[in-house]
Order: sequence, then structure tokens, then C-alpha cells
Amino acid sequence: MAEPQPERQPDRQGELLRTPRSTRSGPGVVLVAVYGLLALAATGRSVLQISEYFSRAPLAYLLSALAAVIYVVATVALARGDRTSRTVALVAISIELVGVLVVGLASYLAKDAFPDKTVWSHFGSGYGFVPLVLPVLGLLWLRRTAAPTA
Amino acid sequence: MLYPLTVALLVASVVLLAVAAGYAVRRRLVDDRLLLVAAVVELGLVVQLVVALAHLGSVPGDSAEQATFAAYAITLPFVPPAAVFLALKEKTRWAMGVVAVGAFAVAVMTARLQQIWNLGG
Repeated sequence: MAEPQPERQPDRQGELLRTPRSTRSGPGVVLVAVYGLLALAATGRSVLQISEYFSRAPLAYLLSALAAVIYVVATVALARGDRTSRTVALVAISIELVGVLVVGLASYLAKDAFPDKTVWSHFGSGYGFVPLVLPVLGLLWLRRTAAPTA
Repeated sequence: MLYPLTVALLVASVVLLAVAAGYAVRRRLVDDRLLLVAAVVELGLVVQLVVALAHLGSVPGDSAEQATFAAYAITLPFVPPAAVFLALKEKTRWAMGVVAVGAFAVAVMTARLQQIWNLGG
């Protein structure tokens, strides 16, 4: 059937020297896909928590909603990948990293405030710790694709 | 949910995952064979959606569980097209990473659907 396809040529030297690489190609496309999935999962769970049983744990569910928004923003920003989007992605992913660490820690220290799993509680253990690893990969990827400093 | 359908979907998504892994190793891109496997998964998901909507009233548990059940069933058929769309535009072996992520998500979400259904015993 299909012929083996050659790997895409790396960006030519000289061209695009000061321009950041696209954040959505190469490994970035997988990052966009995983961010998209988490955006979907976090949004769905958040809508459900807030509409069905918000009073059970308002703080945890508000943080859950914040996580959902952050994932949506990060997904779109990484998928767009222009200069402004890089800044947006950097901010969103930084908040995401702080969020998963703070909420992860808080869910162990203040169990009552986090009665059931949210995307960030227990360091994302309900999602295979992907929420903990993802922001680290995201930040590394942004750095990797950044324009070389003159 | 229909247990045989769940099993068939799990098998199909694992096959898709395996094909994607094989393609990644051999540096192949999205081709007709991969699209065919993805289409089989998609067909199963559409059938599952129809069955799920038809049996929505008999989903066990409270309204939150019913809402989750419906949300999973409705979201699932969007996953393979989205993964294929991203993978088609990517001309490196990372394209297969997207297909693999999509196939994995389909497997997990299908298993969750069955799990909610089983709550009723």
C-alpha cells in the first residue's frame, strides 16, 4: 500500500532564524491533541459539577472550572502558535502548573474541601497524572520552539 | 451498554492504536488502511451513540450519571475525526502520536460508558 514517507525536512538554516518554530507541528501536534482532550474532559466534568451539585464543594468546583478554562485557552494558543499565542500559552500553562501543584497539595491537606476528584486534585491522579506532567512538557516545548535569542 | 459492542469497540481502538504504533516505527503517514481502521472505530461509535440515546431512560444512577453517560456517548464520535484531521496535516511520525492518543481516549471513554451502565448491576 503506502510507500514509507520520508521525515519532513527540518527548517532550512538561515530562514526563520529569528522566528519561533510553530508550536503545533512535530511533537507539538501530540501536545495539542492531549491538551484538547483534557480541555474536553475538564469542561465536561466542570459543567456537571457546577450544574448538579455545586453546593457540595464550591471552592473545588470553581477551581475545576478555572482548570477547564485554562486547558481550553492553552489548547487554542498552542494550536495557533503565532507570537501572541505563544505568550498566551506561556501564561496559561504557567497558571496550569501552579494550579495543579497548589490544588494537588491542598486536596491532601484539606480533604473536606475536595470531596470528589477534579482534574487537578491529588495531582491529577484521576487522569493518570497527565495534568501534572503536561504543563512541564508544555513549558519545555515552548522553550524548545522559541526564537533563538540574538 | 451492549456488552458485545463495547468489546468490539475496545478491540477496534486497540487495533487502531497498534496500527498507529507500527506506522510510527516505520515512519508512515496516514494512508487508506489507517483511515479504514479509524472508520471502523467511528462506525462503532455512531452505533453506540444511537443505542445509548435509545436507552438513555434506563441508565442507572442519578441525573448526574445520566448526564455523564449522554456526554460520553455524544462526544465519542467526534474523537476519531478530530484525531485524523490533526494527523493528516502533520507530516512527521508525530502524526501517529495523535492517532494513538485518540485511539486511547476512545478506549478509555468506551470503558467508562460501560462502567456507568454497569452501576445498575
